[in-house]
Amino acid sequence: MEEELIGIKNTALSFILEAEDLQSLEDTKLQFLGRSGKLTLAIKEITKIPLEKRPAVGILANEVKKTIEEALLQQEKLLSKKKNENILKKIDVTNPGVKPTLGHLHLVTQALEEISTIFESIGFSKEKYPEIDWDYYAFSALNFPKDHPARDDWETFFIKGEEDKKMGKILLSPHTSTGQVREIEKGKLPIRMLNIAKCYRRQSDVSHTPMFHQFEGLVVDKNISITHLKGTLDYFVKSYFGDKRKSRIRPYHFQFTEPSFEVDVTCGVCLGKGCRLCKAGWLEMGGAGMVHPNVLKAGGLDPKIYTGFAFGWGVERVLMMKAGLEIDDLRLLYSNKLEFLSQF
Amino acid sequence: MKEGLFNGMNIKILDSQLRQYLKTKATPFEISEKLSLTSVSVERIEKLANDFCYEIEITTNRPDLFSVLGIAKEAAAVLPQFGIEAKYIPPALRNNQIKEKFPIEIINNPKLVNRILAVVMEVEIAQSPKEIKETLESSGIRSLNNIIDVTNYVMRTIGHPTHVFDFDRLNTKKLLIREAKGGEKITTLDGKTYTLLGSEIIAANDKDEIVDLLGVMGLENSVVTSNTKRIIYFIDNNEPIHIRRASMDLGIRTEAAVLNEKDIDPNLSMDAMLYGISLFEKIAHGKQVSEILDIYPNKPLSKTIQVSLEKINKITGINIDTQKIIEILESLNFKTNLKKDSIEVIVPSERLKDIEIQEDIIEEIARIYGYENIPSVLPSLTNNPHSFINNFYWEKKLKQAFKYYGFTECYTYSFVSEDMYEGPVSEAVEISNPLTTDFVYMRNSLIPSLLQVVSDNKTQEEIKIFELANIYNKKNNNLPDEILTLSGIIKKRHANFYEAKGIIEQLLFDIGIKNLIFKTSKKNAIGASLFIENTYLGEIEVLDTDLIDFELNFEIILNHATAKKEYKSFAKYPPIIEDLSVIVGNEVNTEALIEAIKSQSNLITDVSLNDTYLASRTFRIVYQDEEKNLTKDDVSKIRTQIISSLEKNFKAQIK
Repeated sequence: MEEELIGIKNTALSFILEAEDLQSLEDTKLQFLGRSGKLTLAIKEITKIPLEKRPAVGILANEVKKTIEEALLQQEKLLSKKKNENILKKIDVTNPGVKPTLGHLHLVTQALEEISTIFESIGFSKEKYPEIDWDYYAFSALNFPKDHPARDDWETFFIKGEEDKKMGKILLSPHTSTGQVREIEKGKLPIRMLNIAKCYRRQSDVSHTPMFHQFEGLVVDKNISITHLKGTLDYFVKSYFGDKRKSRIRPYHFQFTEPSFEVDVTCGVCLGKGCRLCKAGWLEMGGAGMVHPNVLKAGGLDPKIYTGFAFGWGVERVLMMKAGLEIDDLRLLYSNKLEFLSQF
Repeated sequence: MKEGLFNGMNIKILDSQLRQYLKTKATPFEISEKLSLTSVSVERIEKLANDFCYEIEITTNRPDLFSVLGIAKEAAAVLPQFGIEAKYIPPALRNNQIKEKFPIEIINNPKLVNRILAVVMEVEIAQSPKEIKETLESSGIRSLNNIIDVTNYVMRTIGHPTHVFDFDRLNTKKLLIREAKGGEKITTLDGKTYTLLGSEIIAANDKDEIVDLLGVMGLENSVVTSNTKRIIYFIDNNEPIHIRRASMDLGIRTEAAVLNEKDIDPNLSMDAMLYGISLFEKIAHGKQVSEILDIYPNKPLSKTIQVSLEKINKITGINIDTQKIIEILESLNFKTNLKKDSIEVIVPSERLKDIEIQEDIIEEIARIYGYENIPSVLPSLTNNPHSFINNFYWEKKLKQAFKYYGFTECYTYSFVSEDMYEGPVSEAVEISNPLTTDFVYMRNSLIPSLLQVVSDNKTQEEIKIFELANIYNKKNNNLPDEILTLSGIIKKRHANFYEAKGIIEQLLFDIGIKNLIFKTSKKNAIGASLFIENTYLGEIEVLDTDLIDFELNFEIILNHATAKKEYKSFAKYPPIIEDLSVIVGNEVNTEALIEAIKSQSNLITDVSLNDTYLASRTFRIVYQDEEKNLTKDDVSKIRTQIISSLEKNFKAQIK
């Protein structure tokens, strides 16, 4: 019996040492320690030997079991480590990853989302108006005289068809300001409106496309003054262009604002020192002004009680004024070359 | 607002010219900066050998600044606000008082011309002296000869266009000012022939031949030549709309036309006349031989505006001292009377067209006071709440989803050519004055534009693009309908209808649209028509083995999108899931089979097509009871029902 136990031990140990992977080690374990394993069966035989010999054989059997178990544990550790090493060896971390296809949002979409977020954070709410509208909303209601040059055929696109007696011709909105009187007419005060939309003008060159985008702000309330226009402008410029850029307003002329301003932002390249890309440190961003009393009246408000400010700036223009985007021909934005679009 | 549409015009002025009428120690850079901040924008300042040249943008409301004198007056008002001394020195003008009558009878039409001044002078034609030549050339005007140069020099200095005729070539007793008739022909002094459209302002001689296109350009038949001995120096102040129409219609954009269409102060005409005479005397041996004829039917009326002191504070947002306000207005040539709560302001003649209401006066006060001296304050928030889950929210969300599904967003033009319009163009919203034939019709589908993008990017083997934009439908006597539309294209080898379908299903599922129905398209295409319940949503079209497009009405998507979330408690008892393979003819729709399976028992909670192989379709069927554990027997009963139903109704073979 003792010899049998020692034989089992030796066989088991040699099987364990020869096991090359965890699976064969597991098989060996079952072969010897399993329910019908060799050692398990041998231990069951102990009850059959004479009583006086049993303690010695029992001790030996326990030692054999312990030795086998320890050897199994030892070998398992060894094989586990080897297995991990094998797997890791097969990874070249510098090989390319398996990427899902990534699409791209158009630069204009990216800009208008950023612009919207900035104005929404100071209480503006985004509105939508017709892209094709009456002359009335584009010009008459905005205090343009009947023969103003902006109404000429060579500036604005008109739609074929009969003129409405009251509303005039149908046209493609040449500016987002078309939304001003439409908004005031709603009669919901105070107004904090943001309108981002497609606009159309008869022009096409390196800095103009016949279709483009503007964002328009309109604020109407009691006691709105130039200070509020400046505050809003500063907030936008710092948020959109960064803390280092400054803004200023200068006199200008528009039919639908009085006073009217031209808005400048310091150049992103020289930060206001002056360089060949800017005018003495400044870049023009667009127009703004205090809402003309005739515009308030057109929307049904009393200019004695209400005042307001408005601005309308080009989305493409502010995009170009952001440092890093030196696109030399604006028409590229609407060329839809995938080589261009997939850069952003 | 701006961007080219209502822009001003640029003028070039030499620093040396300016300083003849402006006494100041300010440097050219100071002048440039201070003018830009408070008045007109100095776009550029160029250093010349012994001088500086300012390029200044003049807005259309300030034609009074389109001259050396205008800028000198404005600078004299602006510079002292910055603590820099400055004084305007007006030109010395003298009237020669000649008795000789002007020899030609001029018959004016007061609806066309506000004022006409004319004089006869004897001159010697020659080249201009060097300094006149250089000043003109630096200001962007070509020097021709001393006579023509005087007219341009006067225009630039005073701000009023002027004209000369050769008196002897004109050879007429009478000049009739009238509107042109359509079809009349003229040859301008640069030798080009034009057919008039009618309504241009012209002067005709006693044979009714046209001898001048007033306010726009002189004509060949009356222009000065190298033999000219006597001239008529002629100044016409014209009705601006006629001038603009003539200039734009004929495409003659002379500086005179650009100025004349801006409605110039007729009081300037006499200054231009007297200054011109003195220049002819100085550089062309000029001798005035007639009185100055002055026909002046439309004298400007004086204008007084009440400005409320409270309104000044309300618009500027600050309190400006009343004395300061008066000082500013008077520096700009306004006259003022201080009343109790207001100021009565009398407008100078050069500003009559521009200044109409008290807000105009407030602008004058605020700009000279200095916009940089007004603080920045954010307007208060309002009490109007509004949901941020609005149409813009869904637009943004879907665009983002497309991006992460591998699509690139395009922005194509809203107008298309006839070839790219879907259907007969007689139904199209049509532009009456298109820029090119490529941009004539407002599109009624985005697909042709996106297909254009595909063909413009031929080298790309695989393309996935989308666009969200309006399409337009004509309506009678009203604005067209604008329908926000979502379209996309997939181009790849073996493009798969189910890929496009799957993307749309997932997109819409994510925004809460679960009842999407696909039907075989009724259009002449291979593809599907999409519905949300009974509402038509759009199409998926298989155009080719490698090309699939889809176009959906985004407004309908918006109507059904929802951010509402519902929680359903987890099932208490586990489902039993089985696969069932069925062979049926390919005329049978999968959806019909699914409906047939589902209808067998309400313990079937889901049926989906799991796999297809040759003619065999494998359905995954989920059985679940909310009340108890299902047994194999329960399921086996239902399965038997399913099989017999499929065999009976679809002649199905069950594997």
